[in-house]
Amino acid sequence: MMLEADTGMRPASDVPALELRGVGKCFRLYRDINRSLKEKIINWRKRGYELFWALRGVDLTVYQGETLSVIGPNGSGKSTMLRMMTGIMKPNEGSITTHGTIAALLDLGAGFHPDLTGRENIYLNASILGIRRRQLEPIFQEIIDFSELGPFIDNQVKNYSAGMYVRLGFSVAININPDILLVDEVLAVGDESFQAKCLDRITRLQSSGKTIVLVTHNADMAASISHRVLWLEKGRVRMLGDPQKVVEEYHKAMSTQPEGSEFGNREIVIDRVQILDGEGRPTEAFRTGEPLVLRVHYQAMRPVKDPVFSIRFYDRLGLMVYGTNTSLGDVVIPELRGSGTVEFAIPNLSMLDGRYYVTVAAHTRDCQLNYHLLEKKYYFDVTSPVRAAGYLAMDCRVRVVPES
Amino acid sequence: MREYLRRLIFYRELLYNLTLKEVKVKYKNSFIGFLWSMVNPVMMLAVYYVAFGIIFKLRALGMTRYEFYLLSGILPWNFFSLSLLQSVSAVVNNADLVKKVYFPREVLPLSYLGAAAFHFLLQEMVLVVFLLVFRVTLSPWILALPLLLLLQLVFTAGLSFYLSALNVFFRDIQHFTEIALLAWFWLTPVIYPISFIWDNFPAWATGIFMLNPMAHLMLLWQRITYNSPVNGPQAAYFSVEGFAYVIAFSVLLLVTGYYLFCRLEGRFAEFI
Repeated sequence: MMLEADTGMRPASDVPALELRGVGKCFRLYRDINRSLKEKIINWRKRGYELFWALRGVDLTVYQGETLSVIGPNGSGKSTMLRMMTGIMKPNEGSITTHGTIAALLDLGAGFHPDLTGRENIYLNASILGIRRRQLEPIFQEIIDFSELGPFIDNQVKNYSAGMYVRLGFSVAININPDILLVDEVLAVGDESFQAKCLDRITRLQSSGKTIVLVTHNADMAASISHRVLWLEKGRVRMLGDPQKVVEEYHKAMSTQPEGSEFGNREIVIDRVQILDGEGRPTEAFRTGEPLVLRVHYQAMRPVKDPVFSIRFYDRLGLMVYGTNTSLGDVVIPELRGSGTVEFAIPNLSMLDGRYYVTVAAHTRDCQLNYHLLEKKYYFDVTSPVRAAGYLAMDCRVRVVPES
Repeated sequence: MREYLRRLIFYRELLYNLTLKEVKVKYKNSFIGFLWSMVNPVMMLAVYYVAFGIIFKLRALGMTRYEFYLLSGILPWNFFSLSLLQSVSAVVNNADLVKKVYFPREVLPLSYLGAAAFHFLLQEMVLVVFLLVFRVTLSPWILALPLLLLLQLVFTAGLSFYLSALNVFFRDIQHFTEIALLAWFWLTPVIYPISFIWDNFPAWATGIFMLNPMAHLMLLWQRITYNSPVNGPQAAYFSVEGFAYVIAFSVLLLVTGYYLFCRLEGRFAEFI
């Protein structure tokens, strides 16, 4: 049992918050930007552009209290869709209906003026987002605290570091209280502790019944924090529904693409990676405490001196849960020739429930050069009989001792 | 239209904050800050006094206290041209904001207008003080100042809406505006009295000349701040028809300009 299912997510209602009906957005791609009047007159007959449909025929209803993640490769129309939801752009086809106030985190600190202080910019930025002074006063201190800027809040923004700038922008946007929150990739900013704080804030918004639409490249994160996932491809809806299923399909589709996430000079090629259970049968489903064997099939294109093979497990949020390599296991390979296998045998898995992605690599001892790296191309699922939160299954005996 | 207005009213604090930002930023990091708005007309007065009162001796043409005549026209003209020049590129210069955040875009040109109006009011106050100090007789007309300011704001806002919206699609507009303002300045009785036109040109030419709404506005400004009979007959011009004409023209310009702006603003984000 994952605890976040118990604490964070609240079932969505069936009252629509955002309705998209047959929405399409068309851009004009100018061959040569002729924005001057003269050229416009000279070329008035010639159409100097081609039509490009960034989004077409999108039907979507986002329900109140729902968190919807939008995933898809670059140029699939994710951001265009978000911008139309906010009203920055208007669709060329179809209609968008919104119920309730909307706030969008598209660009943090857009509209900050470098000569004004952080405090002055909070007022300005909040009013750009449609927040009245009266609504801002009660949360003002919270914004300052969240930004961790401390005394720097009264300094001019031009003296801020990039991180401070972004933190302030995020603090303003996340602390205002819209009915519908649109988030575009902004969670990728800030250091890890700030990101964790932001995720935590989003979870809190979820549990208070806000509608959230999240655009992200990180499909695994999308799966873990949303009710439904929308997969856009080339401006059309490819799949919409259960996070696990959509993300799984998405990963499959993405990994069949040649450039996926493989790197390296391929002097050693990792042909295949097998995930096996205790009896040597390939499987993807494990229980906590069971053995797991990772068999890496390699082929050395030429003799390679002193290579190191390593494996790493990641959770859905992209956090590394475990990693080891041949050198840490005191296995030295003086020279690698031909083909063969490297086996990593784990006698008992000690992770809790979840899907774990596997990265396998062959590289030099100093990690400066990758021969071949397969990033998160494989995964396995763990189910745990232990009820606990976090990553690890540990023995823990609980005792209450009342003082008598 | 009502929908647009309701939205603008909802975002009124944004307009206020952006205007405040413009006001603050203008003299940020300068030692005497706001005082610059006031020092400006003082310096202008001194320069004009030396140039026209001492060097050119315009007194001979029946213009006494010419420097005050000039100041009473040139302050509102500068306010007009400055706010127009800034608001023409208001949308384009805030491309980042327009592309990333939803808010009624009309607050952008309006905020420049508001900030310019603030500085103009400071300058007018200085002018009134000078009129008192130098014993140029003030008439009760001075009380019409807020009304006239409002009228000029309506006119300038209407024009700004047209220009700033079209400037997104044709950047030529902002360059053209600079040149046009120069010609406009000389076609408006700011530095010369209106009698120069009336006395030297046929009726049809003056008729065309008086189609310029800024000419009427300038006459009104001169009327309320430089209105003593000792200043010669040129100062006392006022016509009801002219006044009605400017009001009608300005209101029409504002309504149509606002409508055009709102119709086009949905496409700003992709063109900018």
